[in-house]
Amino acid sequence: MRDRGYADRVNPALQLFGLRKAFGATVAVDGVDLTIPQGSFYGMVGPNGAGKTTTLSMATGLLTPDAGTVHVHGIDLWRDPDAAKPLLGVLPDGLHTFDRLTGAELISYSGLLRGLPADEVRRRRDDLLAALDLESAGRVLVTDYSAGMTKKVALACALVHAPRVLVLDEPFEAVDPVSAGAIRRILAAFVEDGGTVIMSSHVMALVERLCDRVAIVGSGRILAEGTLEEVRAGRDLEDRFVELVGDVADQRDLAWLRRS
Amino acid sequence: MVATILSLRWRTTLHSLRRDKWRILVVIAGAIWSISMVPSIFWAEYLLRLQLPDIRADAMTVIGAVIALGWVSVPLLVTGLDDTLDPTRFASVGMPARRLMPGLTVSAFLTVPAVFTLLAVALLATSWRGDAAAFAVALVGALLTVATMILSGRVAVAWAGRILTGRRSRIAAAAAALAGIALAIVIGRALLARGLESILEEDVPVLITALGTTPIAAGLAAPEFVRFDDWFSVGWRLAITAGWSVMLALAWRASVARSLVTPPTRTSGSARRDDRILFHAELADRVRSRLAAASVPLLGPVARGFARAMPSPEVRAVRSRALRYWASDPRYLAAGVGALVGPVLLFGILLPALGLPGWTAFLMPATVAMSLSWGRHNDVAYDSTALWVDVVSGRLGRRVMRGRLEALLLWATPVVVVSAVAAALVAERLDLALGLSLASLGVLGTTLGISAVLSVAMPYRAPQPGANPFGAEVGSVGAGLAAQVLSSLATAVTAPLVMLPFILAVVVHPAWSAVAAITGLALGVLGVVLGVRLSGDLYDKRSGRLLSAVV
Repeated sequence: MRDRGYADRVNPALQLFGLRKAFGATVAVDGVDLTIPQGSFYGMVGPNGAGKTTTLSMATGLLTPDAGTVHVHGIDLWRDPDAAKPLLGVLPDGLHTFDRLTGAELISYSGLLRGLPADEVRRRRDDLLAALDLESAGRVLVTDYSAGMTKKVALACALVHAPRVLVLDEPFEAVDPVSAGAIRRILAAFVEDGGTVIMSSHVMALVERLCDRVAIVGSGRILAEGTLEEVRAGRDLEDRFVELVGDVADQRDLAWLRRS
Repeated sequence: MVATILSLRWRTTLHSLRRDKWRILVVIAGAIWSISMVPSIFWAEYLLRLQLPDIRADAMTVIGAVIALGWVSVPLLVTGLDDTLDPTRFASVGMPARRLMPGLTVSAFLTVPAVFTLLAVALLATSWRGDAAAFAVALVGALLTVATMILSGRVAVAWAGRILTGRRSRIAAAAAALAGIALAIVIGRALLARGLESILEEDVPVLITALGTTPIAAGLAAPEFVRFDDWFSVGWRLAITAGWSVMLALAWRASVARSLVTPPTRTSGSARRDDRILFHAELADRVRSRLAAASVPLLGPVARGFARAMPSPEVRAVRSRALRYWASDPRYLAAGVGALVGPVLLFGILLPALGLPGWTAFLMPATVAMSLSWGRHNDVAYDSTALWVDVVSGRLGRRVMRGRLEALLLWATPVVVVSAVAAALVAERLDLALGLSLASLGVLGTTLGISAVLSVAMPYRAPQPGANPFGAEVGSVGAGLAAQVLSSLATAVTAPLVMLPFILAVVVHPAWSAVAAITGLALGVLGVVLGVRLSGDLYDKRSGRLLSAVV
């Protein structure tokens, strides 16, 4: 019997090895290897269609990979989902939620599915609604929410079972600055306490501000990976990003758009 | 604008054919069916030509009324058939409905069923070619009548979708539908009392003549009056048909104009409600702990057994969620009502009106059970991509599927039992009520089990949440067709087997009714339990593929 505590200290929070996914003739993810250490705030950046969402879907059990493995704190996600899934908190991007439930009900639903006792669900639900400034919206159907509010309630669902690893796809998209501040504080405290956050984003400034490690993804591959300093190589993250993925080839002047 | 919208429609059709190769088979099958119908239309035209003008006009009226009924009801009952452009897609273009309508209208008239209907009715109208004037009137009447059919289909879809989105309009529509069905049953029974022959001899001709004065078939009845040189009768018949099609076009335009400025989801306002999901969980917890702590001498162990048998909190959460969707999501309401309309119309109105013997009523509860549970063969896809919540929460397949099935059973069981008792009353065999109820519940359980497995094994694209439940664009008709054929075949095999002891009770000896009750209960429970286990295990196995299968 291995010592669980020792294994926890040694194993990375999330380890992707040789992940590959093709949709028909299009290869979305082409052999991604990533090691995300415990306690890191990990940013995944890349242009549209680079394979970020596909990679994160495979890393959270939503999409079966064609090849490769996913380990969460040393546990093979696709072989032993019973042990691995409770460790993960997931916020996907661009998917529906059960929007005929109210915000409060959606959080309760997630908590109950995660096996929490009812009184604990009630306590955490109320805490989350307050922390994410959703108290007044808790009794409104999610279908009547704005995009940012839907994002916030989905984040609450990802947090309710107190996971060890948070996998967040575009968590700040459409969220207003006040709520974004609240989310940043929650995530920072989570990481400080030994949790791990992996988030994808298009906003370089946000990644530079929050993350200590970064991966730049392009065409389904990892183009650069490491600590923020290593990836930046003494420059702006945005410049480095454009350099790696390549700028728009034909920078045509849209003369007809100008008024004079 | 017309050309733009037309080319848009053809290109989307072409691309979806290319993406989903299955659909090509459906198109080919539809084409073969249409072509195979051509000889019989020519044959019908030949037969019509041999008739006297008044009989010919009556026949055309009946044919027209039946086709018109089809154009209104088929898109409502069989969702996902409608492949005209969804007008809400144009909302962001900022173009008034006035400019969109010509293109939408032309594209609505250029669908395969529309063209086929037009050709068929026009061909039948050529049976008037003996008299040049009557022939001309017949052609004009046929064109106008087909226009009213196609437009009424569009209006039916638009209005039905709108009715189902608002809570108040939903209740009003349900009340109106109930009143209509009750009225039809009363009229049907009153007519029935006079005997089938007198209905055929007296009422049916009156009905046909009356239909010939309504916009539904007036255009087809018009040519008959040419031979009397009664141009007034010809004129107003054509005029009301033309007027009706203009009114339908205006109604359609009004609903398109409305859908352009009314986003589909934000209709329920800001209704506030308490957390029912958590309320149910806490209530169940209290009941469970009360039962588990029971210390009454004899009842104690029984109570503790009940406490252990109560479904897990996960099952209860899924069930509460599914019940909320059954009560408020237009897509579920349309599916539930659609599954009930057929059997009710068939057994409540048509069969009594035809004066068929009382035992045919015994078929009703089983049909209700079958159509309710068969309709769930694509249940998982109705979650759309929201099912990620269930997938990331762990390996919950059996619990998720059990919650879904329990939600349906909770309201479908009383519906089936009530219809079984009603059928026994109609047939005046109350002694068979228990056997019929349980045998029908057996059909419900077994069919539901089959549907559950297929909904995980072969999900296909369903109407998206918030979309018009009737206006679903044709997603993957092919995969859908395969799933429908498979589930229908499986149901067609199992349902008669489950009903067999009850059939023996009617035909051989009433004692079989007890056997029917026992086998019905046993097979129903078995179907549900097996369905939950198999579909649940499959759910876990396919959890990484479900998301991409339902969109």
